[in-house]
Amino acid sequence: MKDYRIGLFCAAVALVGLSLAVGTLSAHHGRGQTYDGDQELSVDGTVTEFSWRNPHVTLFLDSVDADGKVVGWGFESSNVSTMSRQGWSRNIFKPGQEVSVTYNPARSGAPVGILRNVTLSDGTIVNSRGNANTID
Amino acid sequence: MRNRSMVSVWTSVFVIALAAFGLAHPSLGEQQSGEFDPRDLSGYWMGDTPRNNDPPPLTPAGVAMMEGRVPDYLTTLPNESNDPMYMCNPQGFPRLVWEENEPIEFIHTADRVIQHFQWERTLRELWMDGRELPSGENLDNLGPTWYGHSVAAWEGDTLVVQTTGLDERAWIDEFANPTGFDALIEERYTRTGVNTIEGRVVVNDPKNYTAPWVQEPTIFTRMRPQDVSFFGWTGLFSGVTEAICAPMNELDEYNRRIRDPSLGIGN
Repeated sequence: MKDYRIGLFCAAVALVGLSLAVGTLSAHHGRGQTYDGDQELSVDGTVTEFSWRNPHVTLFLDSVDADGKVVGWGFESSNVSTMSRQGWSRNIFKPGQEVSVTYNPARSGAPVGILRNVTLSDGTIVNSRGNANTID
Repeated sequence: MRNRSMVSVWTSVFVIALAAFGLAHPSLGEQQSGEFDPRDLSGYWMGDTPRNNDPPPLTPAGVAMMEGRVPDYLTTLPNESNDPMYMCNPQGFPRLVWEENEPIEFIHTADRVIQHFQWERTLRELWMDGRELPSGENLDNLGPTWYGHSVAAWEGDTLVVQTTGLDERAWIDEFANPTGFDALIEERYTRTGVNTIEGRVVVNDPKNYTAPWVQEPTIFTRMRPQDVSFFGWTGLFSGVTEAICAPMNELDEYNRRIRDPSLGIGN
């Protein structure tokens, strides 16, 4: 029984590893020094648009900054097929949703980033994939 | 030291489990046993090409072809490269097959093997009806194409493909190396296991290179059933999905709303 559990554990770990391996093979193009892949920041806001298109799935939201000003943010992720394999769909985000986005920021300071994960209002965390150097 | 040994042991366990589960477990591939037809390449495959910039020395013509090309690896920001793919131009051959590392479906028909690519959602036809490659005046009359003209034949259990007639505007790889219209590119595909194909490519292009360019082998791994089906669908929306770089998406939307703002441009 114990061996069976170890086998299951190894299989699960291997499956996750294989998924990650498959997921990091392709690279449409690099981002150079555009983003800081070592830094993760978060911003809260309201989804304004979710673009389910190749080769970059993108999420847009409005957030209110410390001065009370509405700032439009844009976040990029991978392509449609990769994100589909990740469990995403065209309807995973809807305009009007309140979300918290964790992202790798643009070095320029612009309100743009690589999407790492999204926390929905019920606490559900929707993971993106990769970091600044591994998305398509 | 002990911790390092334990890490090593667990790493080994992981690697062995990964290999066993990913490459040999019958539930992961479409094959249900260890036996396979070495002349059957059909199915969905994911390549893993080493990305090396190690061509033979260029000829003077090859050096001239490289002038003005700014590949990604020489830049610090994505808008500094003039890689044709950033404008959604076709990758061309052999770049699409040997570099892009996106899913490829191999389809056998009576007179051809068809390669169907997720990236660009395009295809190559590898003619196996005994025809010869176009050459001389015929090739010149046909003119260059992004994916060239290809014929294929079995040598033992290796599918050998010859391709020529390529568009010289395409970069052969992400490092901007040149491709010649008269180049003869040979690919060799060998089934090395139930779920693996070993692919080799040699670029014979005396106009641009001082010697044949023998590239590192690529291992194509069969994609798992769960990776070629979505929301209960296989077939129409399969492992080879519509990964098209449409200018309406890439240039008008992505560059304008994400890439350029990220660089502090346009806002």
